[in-house]
Amino acid sequence: MHKRIRNFSIIAHIDHGKSTLADRLLQITGALSEREMREQFLDKMDLEREKGITIKLQPVRLKYSSKDGQEYILNLIDTPGHVDFSYEVSRSLAACEGALLVVDASQGIEAQTLANVYMAMELNLEIIGVVNKIDLPGAEPELVKQEMEDVLGIDRDEIILISAKTGAGVEDVLEALARQIPAPDNKEDDPLQALIFDSYFDSYKGAISYIRLVSGRLQKGDIIRIMSTNKEFEVMEIGVLSPYMTEVQSLSAGEVGYMAAGIKNVNDTRVGDTITGAQRPAQKALPGYQEVKPMVYCGLYPLENNDFEKLREALDRLKLNDASLFYEPESSDALGFGFRCGFLGLLHLEIIKERLEREYDLGLLATAPSVVYKVILTDSSEMYVQNPTRWPEPQKIEQVMEPYVKATIMVPHDYVGAIMELCQEKRGNYLTMEYLSPQRVMLTYKLPLSEILYDFFDALKSRTRGYASLDYEISGYETADLIKLDIMLNGEIVDALSFIAHKDKAYYRARAIVTKLRKIIPRQMYEVAIQAAIGNRVIARESVKAMRKDVLAKCYGGDITRKKKLLEKQKEGKKKMKQIGQVEVPKDAFMTVLDIDKD
Amino acid sequence: MSGQSLLNNASSERKKLMRNYSTGIYIHIPFCIRKCNYCDFFSVPLPAKEYLQRYTNALVAEISQRAHEGAGKKIESVYFGGGTPSLLSTEQLETIIRALDDNFRLPADMEISMEANPASLNARKIQDFTNAGINRLSLGVQSFSNDDLRVLTRIHSAEDVRVLIDILHSQGLENFNIDLIYGIPGQSMDRWIKSLQTAADSSPMHISMYLLQLDPGTPMAMDIKKGRMAMLDEERELEMYTLGREYLQGRGFDHYEISNFSFPGRECKHNLIYWQAGEYIGIGCGAVSFMDKSRFINKPDLKAYLYAIENRQERPVEEIEKMSHKGLIADAIILGLRLCSGINMEKFRSRYGIDISREYSEVIKSCSQKGLLKIENGQISLTRKGYFLSNEVLCQFIA
Repeated sequence: MHKRIRNFSIIAHIDHGKSTLADRLLQITGALSEREMREQFLDKMDLEREKGITIKLQPVRLKYSSKDGQEYILNLIDTPGHVDFSYEVSRSLAACEGALLVVDASQGIEAQTLANVYMAMELNLEIIGVVNKIDLPGAEPELVKQEMEDVLGIDRDEIILISAKTGAGVEDVLEALARQIPAPDNKEDDPLQALIFDSYFDSYKGAISYIRLVSGRLQKGDIIRIMSTNKEFEVMEIGVLSPYMTEVQSLSAGEVGYMAAGIKNVNDTRVGDTITGAQRPAQKALPGYQEVKPMVYCGLYPLENNDFEKLREALDRLKLNDASLFYEPESSDALGFGFRCGFLGLLHLEIIKERLEREYDLGLLATAPSVVYKVILTDSSEMYVQNPTRWPEPQKIEQVMEPYVKATIMVPHDYVGAIMELCQEKRGNYLTMEYLSPQRVMLTYKLPLSEILYDFFDALKSRTRGYASLDYEISGYETADLIKLDIMLNGEIVDALSFIAHKDKAYYRARAIVTKLRKIIPRQMYEVAIQAAIGNRVIARESVKAMRKDVLAKCYGGDITRKKKLLEKQKEGKKKMKQIGQVEVPKDAFMTVLDIDKD
Repeated sequence: MSGQSLLNNASSERKKLMRNYSTGIYIHIPFCIRKCNYCDFFSVPLPAKEYLQRYTNALVAEISQRAHEGAGKKIESVYFGGGTPSLLSTEQLETIIRALDDNFRLPADMEISMEANPASLNARKIQDFTNAGINRLSLGVQSFSNDDLRVLTRIHSAEDVRVLIDILHSQGLENFNIDLIYGIPGQSMDRWIKSLQTAADSSPMHISMYLLQLDPGTPMAMDIKKGRMAMLDEERELEMYTLGREYLQGRGFDHYEISNFSFPGRECKHNLIYWQAGEYIGIGCGAVSFMDKSRFINKPDLKAYLYAIENRQERPVEEIEKMSHKGLIADAIILGLRLCSGINMEKFRSRYGIDISREYSEVIKSCSQKGLLKIENGQISLTRKGYFLSNEVLCQFIA
């Protein structure tokens, strides 16, 4: 039966229509009835549907009756399209033998797509080219086909033209999946090796692992062994997602499904780990995933001090299906106890924070994100600093280095000037420029990671009317002239507001942040002085005048209800504040260090 | 527990239940010659004089429908509010007061107040209204500067008010209130002082001075938003408040509520009922009632109101709040702290069964530290500094 299994994923840039195509595949293969169908079905999280992006891959098993009269089992493993999540893409790809490359007929190949296709090629995946949105005005499918052939070497005659929205051409995609993607190797008789490519926590069943069997068989009741920890568990339930969880008796080599084995400890079901049988263990684990290093760190603090343990538990659970998440306890004079957390990028940060708040009902305060700086001290020792509060005394610093990336930007040639200007502003060094076609240019730049983390992507989009796309990889550390800026409220340093800035930009940023803080810190009982300082030297100051009026002049029988609502609102507003010393600071103040460039 | 103390307990329980907190009756007359640009009360332009008669008939019908609500209550005040209740004719007013007396048995010496627009009164009308039973007038003066009055789109002038006040004194109706507004766009400190002075010189028994606060839906709020005029800054508003308070106290008025001043014993009885968390029966379209732990409103839809009453259908009423014991306590504190004398904690305990100082010790502590709240001689009250910052305190008592 494994001969008719096809494991594939979809590579597409955000907005190129991947989730819509997935919806259409579900519909055409009859996995869902009309009644069950809703948009972006596989984007399980509300967050994904709201943001219109796919964050977490969600596997699904489809049955397709091909024109050759055979029934195929197609396992779709969806992938996220944002640069923050390239790590997730590699997880999806490693569980597949093929990939659909979906490109928007009016946008062409984007930088991130390119990176993912290269990743798929390295894994020897069969790639099927698809041009989507051919029904839209402005679609130039022939041009895009040519680009795919020129840039990626995909035969233009084999590229399928579709509209996922109308369903045109989607049958051809199914047919191509069945015909072109190789079946998985038949290693059913070998010892069990199953790759955990995702997992999440279910309050009733414990950890649920999404697995791809590479060899052997797995049955309910089997005793399995986690190869990295050597811990053993009894399989309580196995099944497939079609698309709902459906229990099956067994899974064998080549198949994709889920497993519950009463695993309670997060560390026992790490993504990338290999499961084998306890009776007849495999000799070696499957090649695991490369461990990802967080590139950006910030402090997450519960607004309610009592929620610290709850936050720890929530992080433990999220870590289960997000190996890239890093956290360790830290404490701040201003904010109390919290966690220093590491993320792949800002979107990742934002999503984790929102998930913690929504799924675990936590009120959180995030401090400004920071990259990891390398500081060489006067005694020649080195230290890595990912929290500005740990910045060494200036007199002990010999040299400071910051992480740089090599950024690849694809853009219509009209915008090359705008991109160069932006990269210049962001302290970038020009590397290369290459014409992909007479209209499209690929630029490479070396840029400080800290500069592209904040608002680079937004600026890129707005200066190119949305046409530019970006991909980047860490290139290493470079020396930089950096200093630590402290922010003081009424003379007290608020450690959680300190940040690292480039010397040339320090004054401007200090000015911008105190101005911004003056705007967002509400008037209080006392005047609040806001200062920015480098060491002992104050370089910018502002103040929030004391509140003089907070009164309801009239309150009589007819409007008591309405007046009370105003007071209720005011009480709610207080909950969004963090008390620092005598000063009530809105919780989003801690992110303002970031936002100032946007104004 | 001994038999004796059990008995005592039972009887004190009963006393608590039976104690009559005074009840007020509010009559809403939702008509105005023209609506002022800052007003957010329910009022409509008076379409035709006949409408007032129709409305009067409807009020009389509602009064008799609701007579049972007064059973066992001690009615202590009647208040005609609006809108502009002084638009009523003498006969209409007499009819309404007679209906109230027939259905609620009004005590002889009770306070019967009426809000009045200075432009809608003359000597004759005042005479007739007093004869009909009105013994307190609340005049919507707002300012003695015609510049201010124009900004407020009032239909009367400062001169109208002077004439009116002469008439009141000559007819011996000394129990009247003057409403003043401060914080009016363009109002200078001098103008405010002049208004205060003229108001005090007019020898009213009561002065209310209100900070201009705009509901976002009002035309004036739109003007502000569009930049056609500007509110004063809050430093100036506080100065005006402080000055007003000190000036009026200097002229012998007691400051008894955040925005209200009176000669001793001349507080507005009706409004005291609100601030003492008493019950009130609201009659007329848009009127709110608070009875038996619930607030309900006669929906502010004039056509629906008249139609229902005239066709003997149930009047369109909506419950807007059903309060738990906790909610009642919060209300009583939020309202009670508006009074300068504050809340007597012992009386509060016997009425609601909680000790405020213990129940809210955290809030009291932090507000006292900020100098906004104080406890003295068993009374909890706002401090002088606390009046203009009272929301800081009150919002923390919200249930």
